[in-house]
Amino acid sequence: MSPTEKPTDEILRALQERAKELTCLYRVDEILNRAGIDQGDAMRELVESIPRGWQYPDTCLVKVILEGRVFRRNGFMEAPWVMSAPILFEGREVGSLSVYYTERRPNADEGPFLEEERRLINTIAERIGYFLLQKKLRWVLPGERSADSVQEGGQRWSVILDFLRGTDRALLTRITRRMINHLFYNGVDAAEGLLQRFHPADADAAALEPESNQPQTRNALVDLDDLAQEAFQLASTQLSEGEVVRCVQSWIKEESSGFLHSALENLHAPLPEVADALERVHARGILDLELPLAARTGLRVALLRRFFSSELSFINCAKEAVRVEDFCELVRRTIHFPKTHGKLGGKSAGLFVASRLVERSREFESVLTGIRVPRTWYISSDGLLQFIRYNSLEDAYDLKYREVDRIRREYPYLIQAFKNSPCPPELRQGLAAALDDFEDRPIIVRSSSLLEDRVGSAFSGKYKSLFLANQGAKRERLAALQDAVAEIYASVFGPDPIEYRAERGLLDVHEEMGIMIQEVVGSRFGRYFLPAFAGVAYSNNEFRWSSRIKREDGLVRIVPGLGTRAVDRLSDDYPVLIAPGQPGLRVNVTPDEIVRYSPKKVDLINLEENRFETVEIKDLLREHGREIPGIQQMVSAVEEGHIRKPIGSALDFELGHYAVTFEGLISDSSFVIQVQTMLRLFREQLGFAVDIEFASDGVDLYLLQCRAQGYSPESMPAAIPRNLPRDKVLFTANRYVSNGRVPDITHVVHVDYDGYQSLPDASSMRKVGIVVGKLNKLLPKRQFILIGPGRWGSRGDIKLGVSVTYSQINNTAVLIEVARQRGNYAPDLSFGTHFFQDLVEAEIRYLPLYPDDEDTIFNEAFLRLSRNILPELLPEAADLVDTIRVVDIPQETRGEVLRVLLNADLDEAVGLLAAPSIEASQEERAAPPAELAAEDHWRWRFAMAECLASDLDPERFGVEALYLLGSTKNATAGPASDIDLLVHFKGEPQQRETLSLWLDGWSLCLAEINYLRTGYKTSGLLDVHIITDEDIARKTSYAVKIGAITDAARPLALAYGREEPSHQS
Amino acid sequence: MKTKPFNSFELAQMQFDRVSEQLGLDAATRELLRWPLREYSFAIPVRLDDGTMKVFRGFRVQHNDARGPCKGGIRFHPMETLDTVRALSMWMTWKCAVVDIPLGGAKGGVICDPHNLSQREQEQICRGFVRQISRNVGPAVDVPAPDVMTSAQHMLWMLDEFEILEGAKSPGFITGKPVGMGGSLGRKEATGFGVVFTLREALKELGIRLQDTRACVQGFGNVAQYAIRLYQQIGGTVLAVSCWDQEDQEAHTFRKQAGIDLDELLAITDQFGGIDKAKASDLGYDVLPGEAWLEQDVDILIPAALESQITADNVGKISTKVKIIAEGANGPTEPQADATVNDRDIFVIPDLLANAGGVTCSYFEQVQSNMNYYWVKDEVLGKLDVQMTSAYIAVSNLARKEKLSMRDAAYAIAVRRVAQACRDRGWI
Repeated sequence: MSPTEKPTDEILRALQERAKELTCLYRVDEILNRAGIDQGDAMRELVESIPRGWQYPDTCLVKVILEGRVFRRNGFMEAPWVMSAPILFEGREVGSLSVYYTERRPNADEGPFLEEERRLINTIAERIGYFLLQKKLRWVLPGERSADSVQEGGQRWSVILDFLRGTDRALLTRITRRMINHLFYNGVDAAEGLLQRFHPADADAAALEPESNQPQTRNALVDLDDLAQEAFQLASTQLSEGEVVRCVQSWIKEESSGFLHSALENLHAPLPEVADALERVHARGILDLELPLAARTGLRVALLRRFFSSELSFINCAKEAVRVEDFCELVRRTIHFPKTHGKLGGKSAGLFVASRLVERSREFESVLTGIRVPRTWYISSDGLLQFIRYNSLEDAYDLKYREVDRIRREYPYLIQAFKNSPCPPELRQGLAAALDDFEDRPIIVRSSSLLEDRVGSAFSGKYKSLFLANQGAKRERLAALQDAVAEIYASVFGPDPIEYRAERGLLDVHEEMGIMIQEVVGSRFGRYFLPAFAGVAYSNNEFRWSSRIKREDGLVRIVPGLGTRAVDRLSDDYPVLIAPGQPGLRVNVTPDEIVRYSPKKVDLINLEENRFETVEIKDLLREHGREIPGIQQMVSAVEEGHIRKPIGSALDFELGHYAVTFEGLISDSSFVIQVQTMLRLFREQLGFAVDIEFASDGVDLYLLQCRAQGYSPESMPAAIPRNLPRDKVLFTANRYVSNGRVPDITHVVHVDYDGYQSLPDASSMRKVGIVVGKLNKLLPKRQFILIGPGRWGSRGDIKLGVSVTYSQINNTAVLIEVARQRGNYAPDLSFGTHFFQDLVEAEIRYLPLYPDDEDTIFNEAFLRLSRNILPELLPEAADLVDTIRVVDIPQETRGEVLRVLLNADLDEAVGLLAAPSIEASQEERAAPPAELAAEDHWRWRFAMAECLASDLDPERFGVEALYLLGSTKNATAGPASDIDLLVHFKGEPQQRETLSLWLDGWSLCLAEINYLRTGYKTSGLLDVHIITDEDIARKTSYAVKIGAITDAARPLALAYGREEPSHQS
Repeated sequence: MKTKPFNSFELAQMQFDRVSEQLGLDAATRELLRWPLREYSFAIPVRLDDGTMKVFRGFRVQHNDARGPCKGGIRFHPMETLDTVRALSMWMTWKCAVVDIPLGGAKGGVICDPHNLSQREQEQICRGFVRQISRNVGPAVDVPAPDVMTSAQHMLWMLDEFEILEGAKSPGFITGKPVGMGGSLGRKEATGFGVVFTLREALKELGIRLQDTRACVQGFGNVAQYAIRLYQQIGGTVLAVSCWDQEDQEAHTFRKQAGIDLDELLAITDQFGGIDKAKASDLGYDVLPGEAWLEQDVDILIPAALESQITADNVGKISTKVKIIAEGANGPTEPQADATVNDRDIFVIPDLLANAGGVTCSYFEQVQSNMNYYWVKDEVLGKLDVQMTSAYIAVSNLARKEKLSMRDAAYAIAVRRVAQACRDRGWI
């Protein structure tokens, strides 16, 4: 080991970068050891250098008093936060060293000062004493210096060892032990001896008494100093200088993050303590990646558990993505409480981990460089508890166990009670600090429940998210923010989330809710504030519109303005859909389609009115079109059937000859590849399909949310039962299957391929479409399915499929296209493209059948052999019986129904004949039954209708008979359904008036009860149709339902035990 | 019951056979006109975005070019068949002949679904189509146009490829181009105005003052809007207009006894011709059911929306006051209803004639492109008036002289003109 091989400064220089105390001490030694330095100069230099060893060097000042002289920086001011150590020379105090903080800093071990700093200041004071001694000695023994220079390396070693000897013997012990162990494991025999000296009795005792239950005796380390000296001497002969340095560095580093470890030791460590520890980590510049693997993983896991969740799957994927220092940033924007034990909740966790993943992947994926996360503040979950305790609102806890109608009744008062309660002072201060950070930019306050966003229980939309314009004086803004927080807290006790939790078996879980306060991405345009565009993206595309799109190509729903319009299904507007894996394949390709299905409205924040609004895009763009950054990438010019991307600012927003297409964004920007990369990254790293929310101010893309891709109850993948008897299967499919379950189909409308192809002319084919349209109005809504050859909605050549418009099929539950092999090719199906976006928004399922594929079943024989009720339903269409079949399934199967189960994960679907789900076991249902199960809606309505009938005095009102129609009779009523009553009236006009009044009263009462049960508000629950003898004779309007063949009206028994009317279905 | 599958080309041939019987055409002429002159079928290999190759099948059918270069659209359709294209090419021959423009009939198509193709892939299909057929098309040979699922953009790609192969600019190769890129002004107005030009002539013939008439219009799209505009400009009153309501998924009729105000309605109309129900009601319009448009006591009905709107079921509801039906849409009257209409002596301006303003304007585009000189809008519309008026007079003269319905007369005059051209050329 030659001196040239390892520059003597290396260890110290390395340490310099790492451990401040050492650096500082080295600097002190350097100053004090400089040849011929004058005592005054030395002290002046020390005053400058020492602050760097302290945690907050910026506010740190030093004063040295030595033999009556005072050394300090110009402009020095005394401050109350001080730490001092005496300087001793030959046993007496000759001065003092004091370190001041000029501003208040968080409390640590000794006021704002750390334990280590106490040791450091003592050591420096000691060194100064030694310096004084040396000065005296040098004067006495001038030969001393040359001996020093010969053994320079050794002396540097001594510096470290000396320092540790003088400051932290425990650390010295640990480092020495580790060095000896390290040498031993590396096969250095000499280390064995040292090891035995370290634990003299160990080896023997353990060998002699392997089964001893007695604790081993502890051996005091009497000769630690020598041992350390020897160990490092040995190390320097055996290891390269670099390795020794690395070892020592990483050990010291690990030791120095120990306090964080101890802060995190228990899961319920109060957040302020963790926050302080993190602050210290940050102040020391400790970097995660410089910690040894085990240490950093341990810390990350502890932090993840502390802040977010103990769920193993979460921790497993998250621990690779996060770094310890990331939490410093997080904790600075967290509002917490003294002794708080709360967490931040699922939404925060998802975003935090996702944003870290993006950050970490930038080096591999340069497209992610532009992706940002909006400024976000967090309120830890026990904020809710604090709020409740502070305001004595504890009775809210018991609410969840009450009946849902009672919850619904009391909820409005609860919201008011919460909103009228003041925030605890810590929360108020925290919110004020957050507002200072946000300034007057609009914010969104989102719930971040601990139950939310776990795989399998996406509480999407169950709890509230509130937009705040955040305008005006700070006092007003703070009041608005407090109001919003209170409202979100109250929403935990709302009827919908409670019902949802009950359904998922989560009612008994103690609900705590974190809150995320996020800056709204966007810019101000006049009185409006909005992002240029926003939307959601899903890993799995459950709505494929082309056979070329694979499920994993993903789906993006994108809208101008706030993303609320992309998140929700819209009934009057359309988002632009893109499959990021196949961005070239669009749902809409002809100019007509593109314009028709382009977004027409935009959600935004009105800063003047302080509220969330929806406005027409054309109105917005007329005023502000030119100001919105990136607008050229969002709209296309539309001129007489020609749609093109605008060049420059050629668009005239006054004229309105444009459509929102996002064409430029999709084809000319990195947007699609950014979204696709994120989706892929999250799926790979998190291990599950995700949905993310994003927004852009027209410049940068912001990630707003990331969570497991959830399913609405209707779009859960259904379990596909195996080994079904063949005669119970109507069809199976194994290509392009989406998710879902359509349980109780009573009617099938089947357009036969051969029958259709053999029609004599185009007008008969058109008639098929018209008949389907009529059936669509006649059959019970969402309880029938349409099966047809080729392409539904075919325009152009009508032979390719039945020509229908969306309104002619909009009540079907499932739209099925059958691709029969013709010659050697199976025709392309439409995938519903003619009204694809309408289907998506209405959640009508689409399924293609390829009956000629192997392993698929299409039991056309069942349909052909069943009785065709078309002539009875529509006598005028009787000539089409060979083409259109309408099958009443329960009639054909003695009460069974058709159930369609779709599972995109397996890419399998089956249509099977089974008992109606009301009577069937719940086996296919993935989720446990709801408290208020689906069938309750019709049962309750049915009971109420019977109750009404038994109360109706037929003499008084001139009523001959009363019938039940529609969804209640069909056992399909949902929470918003009305009760259709058919009254056969025979009385006088006066009686008719009283009857109407009487029924109105019932209607209002029932509506109120229904509201309390379900939360659906209607102006009345009864839909009464009054018919007379004349109607029955003429079979007009509803009269045909009496004694009808299909969907017949059901008679109800009237008061006084009057006999039921004779018409029986 | 197993009838033979219906085939649109066979239907077109049957229709032709009936007219040739009326005209007493000889066997050779019948044989020549029953079939296309030339049919091209070819492969278009395209490299898809994922790197794989896919071969698409393209067709171009030139039914007859005795009267001039062929004209007809190019369709992109996933289940395109040669017979469909044949039927449509024959229809184009008659359509050009009835308005007496010097063009023949053609049609083309590619079996593909643009919903399954990216823009780049569609561009490659367009360019591939032109590469395969370039020797057999051109401004003096056969002029394509947009059709089902093809747009101005497709035309520009095809034009560009053609010009590359020709080594020269040739804007007259294709029509349906945007204004400024070889397109013609007045195309938006052409069909609707054409309807009213023929309507004006019909009223003259029936001796009715246009200023005294009232009309109902079905539809509020491009054709209907411009028909209303011109009809009101020259003095007519539109009592009601019916249009599709996207939200209600059904049609409504908007009626004002004093006559509708077009601009007032346009201000509350969306891009698809849907009128805002509530606002219309506020403006004093009666909002009636969709079919109410044909039940009003008016002199004129203009169906300008979809096919098969006047059916055997509703033809009885047409007011006895109605004297004229001007078919702005394609095939709005079903055959059974047509018979009733004829029995009731309602004068029908058949679609073949009434809505030929569109194809006439395409012809003007072609002429202007060939000259590379473009007319102002008034010149286009003026020439359109002349063309439509003389076409109308020729058809109505024939109808009177030979006691044919206007529909039969239009067909007959078209077939006769084409047969004559073939004979003059010595083909038969």
